[in-house]
Amino acid sequence: MILIHCPYCDEKRPEIEFANAGQAHIARPLDPSGQSDADWETYLFIRANPRGRHHERWRHIHGCGRFFNAVRDTVTDKFETTYKAGEPRR
Amino acid sequence: MSGFRLETGGRIDRSQPVRFDFDGKTYQGFAGDSLASALLANGVMLFGRSFKYHRPRGLVAAGSEEPNALISVNRGPGRFTPNLRATGVEIHDGLIATSQNRWPSLAMDFGAINDRLGMFFPAGFYNKTFMWPRSFWDRVYEPAIRKMAGLGDAPTTEDPDVYASTYAHCDLLIIGAGPAGIDAALGFMDTNKRIVLIDEQDELGGGALADPALWPWLERSVKALTDAPNVTILTRTTAFGYYHDNFIGAVQRLTDHLPDVTDAPREKLWRIRAGEVVLAQGAIERPLVFDGNDTPGVMLSSAAKVYANRYGVAVGKALALMASHDSGWHDVFALAKAGVGISVIIDVRESVDSALILEASRLGITVYLNHGVVGVNGRHNVSSIDICDYGDQRVSRIDCDALLMAGGWTPSVHLWSHSKGSLKWRDDLGAYVPDVPNENVHCVGGCSGDWDFGTGAIIDMLPTPKDQSRIKAFVDFQNDVTAKDIMLAVREGFRSIEHIKRYTTNGMATDQGKTSNLNGLQIASSALNKPVTDIGLTSFRPPYTPQTFGALAGHAKGALFQPTRTTNIDDWAQAHGAVFELVAQWRRARYFPHSGEDMHAAVNRECVAVRSSVGIFDASTLGKIEVVGPDAAEFLNRMYTNPWKALEPGRCRYGLLLKEDGFITDDGVSARLAPDRFHLTTTTGGAARVLNMMEDYLQTEWPDLDVWLTSTTEQYAVIALQGPNARKVLEPLLEGIDLSAEAFPHMAIREGRICGIETRLFRVSFTGELGFEINVPTAYGRAVWEQLMAQGAQYGITPYGTEAMHVLRAEKGFIIVGQDTDGTVTPFDAGLDWAVGKKKPDFVGKRSMARSDIVALGRKQLVGLLTDDPNLVLEEGAQIVADPKQPIPMTMIGHVTSSYWSETLGRSIAMALVAGGHDMTGNTLHIPMPGKTHTAKVSGVVFYDPEGARLHV
Amino acid sequence: MSEALIRHEPVSDAPFVAEGVCISLAPPMQRHALRARNAEDLEGLLKVKIPRKIGASHGGIMCLGPDEWYFRSEVGTAIPTGEGLPVAITDISERSICLIVEGPRASEILMAGCPLDLDQFAVGQATRTIYETVEIIVMRAAEDRFHVEVWRSFSAWLWMAMTMAARH
Repeated sequence: MILIHCPYCDEKRPEIEFANAGQAHIARPLDPSGQSDADWETYLFIRANPRGRHHERWRHIHGCGRFFNAVRDTVTDKFETTYKAGEPRR
Repeated sequence: MSGFRLETGGRIDRSQPVRFDFDGKTYQGFAGDSLASALLANGVMLFGRSFKYHRPRGLVAAGSEEPNALISVNRGPGRFTPNLRATGVEIHDGLIATSQNRWPSLAMDFGAINDRLGMFFPAGFYNKTFMWPRSFWDRVYEPAIRKMAGLGDAPTTEDPDVYASTYAHCDLLIIGAGPAGIDAALGFMDTNKRIVLIDEQDELGGGALADPALWPWLERSVKALTDAPNVTILTRTTAFGYYHDNFIGAVQRLTDHLPDVTDAPREKLWRIRAGEVVLAQGAIERPLVFDGNDTPGVMLSSAAKVYANRYGVAVGKALALMASHDSGWHDVFALAKAGVGISVIIDVRESVDSALILEASRLGITVYLNHGVVGVNGRHNVSSIDICDYGDQRVSRIDCDALLMAGGWTPSVHLWSHSKGSLKWRDDLGAYVPDVPNENVHCVGGCSGDWDFGTGAIIDMLPTPKDQSRIKAFVDFQNDVTAKDIMLAVREGFRSIEHIKRYTTNGMATDQGKTSNLNGLQIASSALNKPVTDIGLTSFRPPYTPQTFGALAGHAKGALFQPTRTTNIDDWAQAHGAVFELVAQWRRARYFPHSGEDMHAAVNRECVAVRSSVGIFDASTLGKIEVVGPDAAEFLNRMYTNPWKALEPGRCRYGLLLKEDGFITDDGVSARLAPDRFHLTTTTGGAARVLNMMEDYLQTEWPDLDVWLTSTTEQYAVIALQGPNARKVLEPLLEGIDLSAEAFPHMAIREGRICGIETRLFRVSFTGELGFEINVPTAYGRAVWEQLMAQGAQYGITPYGTEAMHVLRAEKGFIIVGQDTDGTVTPFDAGLDWAVGKKKPDFVGKRSMARSDIVALGRKQLVGLLTDDPNLVLEEGAQIVADPKQPIPMTMIGHVTSSYWSETLGRSIAMALVAGGHDMTGNTLHIPMPGKTHTAKVSGVVFYDPEGARLHV
Repeated sequence: MSEALIRHEPVSDAPFVAEGVCISLAPPMQRHALRARNAEDLEGLLKVKIPRKIGASHGGIMCLGPDEWYFRSEVGTAIPTGEGLPVAITDISERSICLIVEGPRASEILMAGCPLDLDQFAVGQATRTIYETVEIIVMRAAEDRFHVEVWRSFSAWLWMAMTMAARH
């Protein structure tokens, strides 16, 4: 069980307090109705599946309750960094 | 008979005799004996039959690396444990152990015919032989192979033992309490670090337990550590797995070594988070590979030393040593000192340290250098060995009753490998040692390659003048893999050790190749004529040694397996004979049978009561979310399909929730309590998911909104009171709420008191009748329920369960998300387009409702089905076809989602998802079922009171 | 009439006592979820000091998240609704019960199922966490006393799990 640093609690907490919430930095378009079918498809369904560095969202669901962003290596399962929702991509 | 108890020596307590059974015969040992040492002391050399060839097998080792001596222990009904290593089983009075993999007896085993037919069982034999005829696999091959295969018998009854489990934290975790581990602990004992010291044996000491010269040091050290308040010592504890971020799984054996079975936990799972880990797992001696090296009586020289010095047992009267490493010489010198007869040392090397030769000569031991064992005589025990002079290839015979092997050492890098630390090859050791760590961990002592056993020659197998195809030189004893099998794999084209391993099964037995991996690697390396480092390395994975499922489950069995959530009214339902069902983790009353009633009769009675008078239903499990803040209405407007901003305080609205892909994910009736406060309801199973989804949008898409969500599912017990007499039952119990139809219309909410308890009273209906849902603080749910039951007695108030609730809602065509929808159903498909705010510029899922697949024709749509035979209730999940005469496989156009007997309507009703169903009203569809194809006509989904007249009263 | 209605609790009101530990049901209390972007908005409304650091507690108010506090008060304490303000105050008095785990083995019993290092947990510290699969809020009330807040429907399971651990 890995430890994950929650950027809100500012401490490392056990993995089972967290829930993964998919790829990070996929913002909902401000005007969905103005999106072309192709753009909307990309937003809805197209996700990265990198070998290595991956930006993903986690939620400290059994802790402070906040969603945050993380950079995790999909090969080593090590977290490079975590940062608050809304902060720029690292 | 060859092994025997020495007159003196060992750490056993000779004043405490212990009697135990092995294969039905009673033996005596002493307190402190392992099953292996006690049986050896009784002259038992035969411990089991091998996996594939059923060859007689004896002890190879004295520790947990033992590949052969797998036995079963029976501690009474349900307490049967197969595949224990006899070396790790502590004897106690009454211990009942049996050997495995033999029939009818250990000495006389029919399966041993496989050994005579050995030439027909090469590597890959099963893959090659049982390929065809294909039809033979299920009927002939598999049953026959299953009968012969496997190690030990699986227990067949439920395990009555209990198991404990815990998390633990420490600054320093030391795994292995041999001299290196103990030194590490002593070194940090005086710091303020919290230290945990783990060892798999029953006492600390590891290799020192076989070295009497170290015992005074050991005693002092153990006392110091035991007295240190910051040191926790866990013996009989196996660290079986090393996981991310210094998380170590360990199992502590608590009671198996005790004579009496009690209700105390048998084992305890330790889930340890360590700041720093020191691995002191030691090293495992390597067997040598030669013809007959699996004969009982052939064992590791270090093991013979352990048996003599720790247990006071000689493994034979006239021993021979086959060495390629100095350590074997030191071991036999120690054996001679302990009084064990050792007559011959054979070493494959042409020369060794002259000090060794001198000591051997002083002890009267004959030495053969540049010689090797090429044959072992005796089937159930060694009687003599054939050795070959590598100078002139002359073979001579030497009598002995045990042959020791000293093939060098393999550092135990198992846990290091679990932690993903890298390894480097050391030519001088012929072994991999830890290199770069991946965690905060380091290795000390033998497992780091740091030992003082001397030096040795690295060889793949002992040279032999014999025909390779005629000999059985074992590499993996437990899986019966020979050097020949590995060479065959190479000849057949396998190049990577990962493939060779899987083809030959070398290292794939329960010991994970603790004694075989390096020999297998060396043989493959020679056969491929490539350096070892070029053919790869297999990975060690948890568990280090096999562990019980009981220990891994810990407390999580029986009622503790997972929580069963119950409502405040659950006890009442139980006391009134409810039959329950699980909905998500909730236990819900399904129906309340009167005596003599089956479910059908009970549900019919409950439904009729609701339609004709009044029913009462525990709806507490409904998910509830309180949405509060100045932007509450704006938030709901963005989440739900329908408009929320204009909803007046005191009114309710049905909310339909889509995922962004346009499909229905949840629904529920919600109320506006105040301009900035809403009381949402969700489905029972959807509560947590909906809250998470809403939090997601709120936190990450619309963080500017001033609104907050709080789960109130468990703040309120919810009692649904449904039926034409509901108002009459409720009225006398209320304060501050006008129940009249004018003051309190359908889809409204009022706050007041019921029986003196504050309530949020909803006028809503999931039955189609006049109905109320009474929310009271949970602690009072049962009391209010009982008041309502008393008040309703004059109207024949009837408690109903989830089954009647399902029938009643289906009669009205109300969907259940997850039953009538499946994650691919849009509001239009479900006939709920009325709940979609057409004028809203945006809400979650709106854009997707214009996706090409969602606007396409032929989507599955929710319809009603009325069977032509009104008495026939279709099966939920049944597939629907348009033409029953079409060839199989038929084109299935949909399936039945809900189907019930409606007592109110006197016939069956059903809902179904059917391709293009909305345009099929009146059409006949076919539902093929075993034995008969049923017919049904497509209808609307509202079967009862389509005008809703019964609601607005 | 309210006097006539009795509360119905999901666990026994008789304490469980084992060697080194006592587990008991705390008396009823009020509980409110306090939410706000700015703690000052709550302080102005409630006239109490609001702890700012996640994990801290003060005067019955535990800071669980950056905009979330868990406020426990005596039954009968008047709590405003905050209507019209950029805050959210929600009554959750009966959502949970509180189990008091007390005695020299208190942290050991909790750590049987809670993955946090509770020996390093300061008196007054509070957090939402998990006991095996069940969400709890744990607050260290004293050196050898913890408060465990758990949703009612999970409390029977938690009681069983902790008393089992205590017996072991």
